[in-house]
Amino acid sequence: MIKLFFALIGILIGIVIGFIMPYTYNTSYSLYISVAILACLDSVFGGIRSNLEKNFNINIFISGFFGNAVLAAFLAYLGDKLGVPLYYAAIFTFGGRLFENFAKIRRIILFRKKETD
Amino acid sequence: MNKHKPKIILTIFSVIVGIFIATQIKMKLETFTPVTIKSLQATKAEITSLNNEISELNRILKAKEEELTLLENIAKGDDNILDILSEDIRYNKLYSGQISLKGPGIVISMYDNPEERSYGFDLNDDLIHDVDILNILNDLKVAGAEAISVNGERVLSTSEIKCAGPTIRINGRSTATPFVIKAIGDPKLLYASVNAPGTYGDILKIYNIGFETTVEDIVYIPAYRGAFNYRFAKPLGEDD
Repeated sequence: MIKLFFALIGILIGIVIGFIMPYTYNTSYSLYISVAILACLDSVFGGIRSNLEKNFNINIFISGFFGNAVLAAFLAYLGDKLGVPLYYAAIFTFGGRLFENFAKIRRIILFRKKETD
Repeated sequence: MNKHKPKIILTIFSVIVGIFIATQIKMKLETFTPVTIKSLQATKAEITSLNNEISELNRILKAKEEELTLLENIAKGDDNILDILSEDIRYNKLYSGQISLKGPGIVISMYDNPEERSYGFDLNDDLIHDVDILNILNDLKVAGAEAISVNGERVLSTSEIKCAGPTIRINGRSTATPFVIKAIGDPKLLYASVNAPGTYGDILKIYNIGFETTVEDIVYIPAYRGAFNYRFAKPLGEDD
């Protein structure tokens, strides 16, 4: 069972490390970073799902992880410059996909349990 | 090895996400709310009102400081207390309406419908009522009238305007039409407040009620002739 929560454990470890680390960044970037975090979370969920579906591809995962984050941050930045809240696009897309991925993960885990029973 | 690889990579990247999340939390950001024109205006109004309050408080502070220096001078014996007290009396009399005043203002004379033909079916439409006077007085006060009199009776905060049949009672004295209302203040403002389209005075003209306004350089307003006598009201803080 613990094997399923490795991502959660990883995030928790990361949070602990982040709190211990003394580094911070400029407050004005916080919007971009938060959108990027959402994109990264989506990538991690997607990674978990593909891992459970046994078609995990490391290249796709890493490129998605960084690419999505950079694109989301860039959208937020561009939106700021244009005066249009473009980061909504990232929020809706990644937020929606997050729940979609989570739903699939749930189904996979629950059905697997049934099979083992 | 190959089987565990995805999990390891996922864990590593989860750690990265966690680090970012923690950094973000650590900064204790204030929540972002989009700035709308409405909120901008609300903030602006708030700032203006606060500024007004500050300047008002500063003004009061200054006045109090002046008072304090005055009192200190009295204590030291520089100023004569009688002079200051008589100045006080004059001030209080002035603002309680016990001194006749003069200044620029307007004179309104109102009289009942002078024509032989009635305006409508109801005779009351042709007459001036207490309400008419009250509304005109209120319009004048809104326009910043500093002193008002009706037929030689000074209008104070306690002055009643009472319907008494064909006459009107003000300050306990009956007066009849024509009513001459005098007001001291900014003549232009006062004139506009009773003559501008849509004002009460303008509506009265529709009913053929006599309503003449003249702007005058010097308007004399008599002092209040009655005496103040409170039977029920007592100053706060005085126990008996």
